Amino acid sequence: MRSIRSAVGRCSAIVALSVLALTGCATETQTPKEATDESARSRVFVANESSNSVTVIDGDSFQVVGTVDARNHATHDLAVSRDGRWLFATNLASGRVSAINTRALETVASIATGDRAHVVTLTNDNRQAWVANIGDNTISIVDTTSFRILGTIGVGKGPTGLTFSRDGRFAYVSNQGDKTVEIIDTTSLKVIKAIPVGTNPHFLVLGPDGRIWGTNTGGTDIYVIDPATQDKIASINVGPAPQQIAFGFKGLQGPNAYVTVAGLNRVVVVSADPKNLRILEQIDVGQRPNGISGNREGTRLFVVHEISNDLKVIDTGSSSVLATVPVGRKPIRVVYHGN
Amino acid sequence: MSRIGSWGLAAGLAWAAWWLAPSPACAQGVPVGTAQNAVGTLVVVRTDGIEHRLQGRGSLPLFEGDVLRTEPGSQAMVQMRPGAPVALNEKTSLKILSRWEKTAGTIRILRVSQGEVWAKAGSGQAALEIETPAAVATVRDAEVDLKVAEDGQSALTVVSGSAEFGTPFGVCAVKGGTASVGARGAACTAPQPANAAAAVGWKQAVNQ
Repeated sequence: MRSIRSAVGRCSAIVALSVLALTGCATETQTPKEATDESARSRVFVANESSNSVTVIDGDSFQVVGTVDARNHATHDLAVSRDGRWLFATNLASGRVSAINTRALETVASIATGDRAHVVTLTNDNRQAWVANIGDNTISIVDTTSFRILGTIGVGKGPTGLTFSRDGRFAYVSNQGDKTVEIIDTTSLKVIKAIPVGTNPHFLVLGPDGRIWGTNTGGTDIYVIDPATQDKIASINVGPAPQQIAFGFKGLQGPNAYVTVAGLNRVVVVSADPKNLRILEQIDVGQRPNGISGNREGTRLFVVHEISNDLKVIDTGSSSVLATVPVGRKPIRVVYHGN
Repeated sequence: MSRIGSWGLAAGLAWAAWWLAPSPACAQGVPVGTAQNAVGTLVVVRTDGIEHRLQGRGSLPLFEGDVLRTEPGSQAMVQMRPGAPVALNEKTSLKILSRWEKTAGTIRILRVSQGEVWAKAGSGQAALEIETPAAVATVRDAEVDLKVAEDGQSALTVVSGSAEFGTPFGVCAVKGGTASVGARGAACTAPQPANAAAAVGWKQAVNQ
């Protein structure tokens, strides 16, 4: 009996070690928790580049719900489906996208896209995930149901930002190496125009007025592109190394663009009217702010910091920090999903 | 039970757990196929840039992330594990990749940037997906030929069985003896009767 117990114990130990080894290339292992009453909760998802993981936070209580192992390396960008059930995460070092079931808090697929998969954006109908591969100078088109790569589009040097127009007819891709934003016709999948925008363009996002907003992370400015004319129509200096943009309101004032400026350790608030771009205020945040996302109502901002490894929740009405939540190492991107 | 016996049982169970459980694809380490024959030269570029060349018959292990390239006038035959032979026509370049899914395990993927490949795949882990710049073919219990032009236009001919052929604009079921074309910005064309034997005639030399 003793020897059997001993053997079982050894088995358990070795099996446990094997399971740890099995978690693949990831450097950390996490036990996903099954979220309760998931459909009724809002969620904040944070990509932790140096932890290879996604931190999941309750959007109302600001408590960490769980941490998802991306089963890849250098988790960088995130896109959440409209129904909140699926999260797609790029992994720079792996050149792969992780498909995450947000109810099970589990990675269920790992999709090879291209060298240094950088950003991911879902098409407006959520049927495809477009992924910019900074090392290949390509966009991979991923079917969000079968997880197959349906096609690849060659773009300029170093694609780092990606968003779609309101009507879905155009995709906008920022290229660091070319200092341009390219416009892709989504019906022909061909690049139809390249707009010079500035130094080291990076993040792109669809604004509340249907215009495309971008940051020149290698410079000090943000800019606005009008899909009606497909031209850059405005820009404003906000400070060194602007990173990402979210939109919100301060009481009656707004919509405003909230820009994380890494060189200032601040969120710079800019009026979101391209005809009258001006800085309204600056909010002190943590060390090297990068990702920023807002709730649907535009009253809360979620900002992650690469150095302090945390997320701050900002009340836009008072421009004050409501909560600080520890996350993984080197958080880059944060996305919010509300129900 | 002896001490050696119990450790043996434990090690066996651990090995079985490792072998049976699905896991995401990792860095190079476990061969995923073998290059067996080349008419002319097959160039294999590893993920660290190291190049190997196969000329004539051989047994060159292939790993995930490898890029296989044939020069003008060259052809090659490789065997993907488990049991999926793949031939490369001249001026072909492809990369060996995979997708991991919790429910389906590892799906082997060949990403062809240009040229022409022939493949015969089984089901389950022996199935293949062949990606091109404009389309993707899922080959399960089928024999196919896929030709990729410089602009990414992809022509799939199914020799036997049937294959699923998709572009960002739609999916076609292509049966044996028919062919479909996938071009950038368009759905795959309706399958038309094709001379499958002629389409794969090029591989006779490397089949010898």
